Amino acid sequence: MIDFGAVGQSFDLLFSSFGPWLVVVPGIILGLIFGATPGLQISMAMAIFLPMTMYMDFIQAMLFLTAIFTGGSFGAGIPAILMNIPGTSSAIATAFDGYPMARKGQHNQALGVALASSVIGALMGYVVLFFMIQPLSYMVLRLGPAEMFVVILWGMTLIASLKGEQVLKGLMAGFVGLLVGTIGFSEVGLARGTMGQTYLLDGIPVIPAMMGMFAASELFKLANKGFIVESADHRKVKVSEIFDGCKMAMRYPVVMIRGGLIGVLVGAVPGVGSSVSNLLSYIETKRRDRDPDSFGKGNPKGVVASEAANSSSEGGSMATLLALGIPGGGATAVMLAAFAMHNITGGPQFIRQQTDVVYAIIFANFAQVFLLVVIGLLFIPLLANIVKVPMRYLIPSVLVLAVMGSFGLTGNMTGPATVLVFAVIGWIFRHYGYSVPAAVIGMLLGSLAEKSLLHSYQISGGDITYVFERPVTLAIFALLLISLFSQPLMKKLKARQEATQP
Amino acid sequence: MSEYKRDYGDFIVLMGLAGFTLWYLSDAIRVSASTQNLLLILPLSIIVLVIIAFELILRIKHGSLFRRSEEEPLRQTLPVVGLFAAYVMSLEILGFDIATVVFLALFLILKGERNWLLLGGFSVAFGLGVAFFFSQMLPYPMTLLLLPS
Repeated sequence: MIDFGAVGQSFDLLFSSFGPWLVVVPGIILGLIFGATPGLQISMAMAIFLPMTMYMDFIQAMLFLTAIFTGGSFGAGIPAILMNIPGTSSAIATAFDGYPMARKGQHNQALGVALASSVIGALMGYVVLFFMIQPLSYMVLRLGPAEMFVVILWGMTLIASLKGEQVLKGLMAGFVGLLVGTIGFSEVGLARGTMGQTYLLDGIPVIPAMMGMFAASELFKLANKGFIVESADHRKVKVSEIFDGCKMAMRYPVVMIRGGLIGVLVGAVPGVGSSVSNLLSYIETKRRDRDPDSFGKGNPKGVVASEAANSSSEGGSMATLLALGIPGGGATAVMLAAFAMHNITGGPQFIRQQTDVVYAIIFANFAQVFLLVVIGLLFIPLLANIVKVPMRYLIPSVLVLAVMGSFGLTGNMTGPATVLVFAVIGWIFRHYGYSVPAAVIGMLLGSLAEKSLLHSYQISGGDITYVFERPVTLAIFALLLISLFSQPLMKKLKARQEATQP
Repeated sequence: MSEYKRDYGDFIVLMGLAGFTLWYLSDAIRVSASTQNLLLILPLSIIVLVIIAFELILRIKHGSLFRRSEEEPLRQTLPVVGLFAAYVMSLEILGFDIATVVFLALFLILKGERNWLLLGGFSVAFGLGVAFFFSQMLPYPMTLLLLPS
């Protein structure tokens, strides 16, 4: 499984000159800044700096881009914890418990937990990639559109049922989100729900919509508060507490390993990736925990689960990129462009013929992970000072960043207008207890769900019995039903048991 | 005994979701009634409408069709929402730089900042700084009134 000759050659590639390493530190810092700035995306950073890689050799270019990826994966968790604004969709679940931790005055610990989990998650991702790149690529090839569709439905159901008492509202929000996600041109070239507006032909701009629903709507709610952290005593930035947070993360090795494995596996599925892996890991951790009600109220396990999964997804998505030449998301799509700029095509042939290059990328990422610890520890104290800023200054500043960032994503006023519309929708949803994460994930996955279902329909010729020939599809569907009905059934059983007990 | 106050908001949201679903389904059917076009939209719309109907039945059964929300009233936040809406709508008119400075200043006044030096200094420095950063970083032209584009 491991080509030791290629391992030796990869060391030569990495250490024969200092050149490849010159770009790593700037890459991580850029990733941290773009990840931590609401509205700026990791893929945006990579795309902006992609032209620079033309002047680098392939290894150096890949190191630079993966460094941005690694820094950004962690960076996205920082605003999720401090402001309840996930820097990217991969940090949505980080906000669920990270932000309540911050509001309790445990922002230092939460950031430490996120850093340690990110570092270990990313490391796990690349270790798995090193050992499993070939088997992983075969596994991904076996996943057809039918499996992708049920994975999406499963993820949606899990997310929608996160708020135990309001499952119906969660499902409503998630499914309406899925419908909204299909607005615009479909796979067969038909434009639905555009109201004749040309800017909706490509669909609702999902990232600005996400920024509106998550960030702006929460900020509206906080407009009458003084500070993120109400108590003045808790508003301190202490490096020692950040270290405590790092140690705290180590107390949950099972959560971390499970998150890491979910991240690698889901990250390897094209189009789904880290956006779903952090949520699946979070939900799985909550479901298995002895005290599931403590989640969403500042349980560090929630942060560990999310950050370990979204960081290890990087390794998974790199597996698909390197082994199949298929990008798992925006960031790997930019990397694919870098492949093309250097006349390299990812795929089984690439892995066979240039194993040394593949190993060099993996080993360089091991080193990047350790550099992230150092750079992260230097940056976090700077960024954590946000808790000292009064809300009357913080709220308009973040709203401005969201508006500017959304303009950057669309290149016109569609972005800011989308932020505004979805901010109002998110604010109303929050007020009446509809699940905002379910609605956002629905929007993110709507078009992919439709595409997967359509491809399954085309492959099967409309014959429903096709599903019965797909055991993986059936197994995931069974999981979906279990996750939907297990909670209420268990509750009923428990209530009945209690009623019968004297 | 606490007085029961009716809140129609939640009911309106529910009806809004049903209305959107029906409108979107009818629009999709209008565009094309082919299986390929409605493969996801039709079953999903039916599921959404069934869930909404189920939720309504449950509420009627529990006598909580117009139940009161526990959250603070929406109207307390309305001025902030209105100001944000005005900001977004003025971006093309005032330019990203001036609109941002004005938005920041008005927000601070609205939320009780009375240190005029801090208010003015922050609004101008942050507003112009951010507008300048993004205008330089983004590959698209931004409407700017004061700063060089």
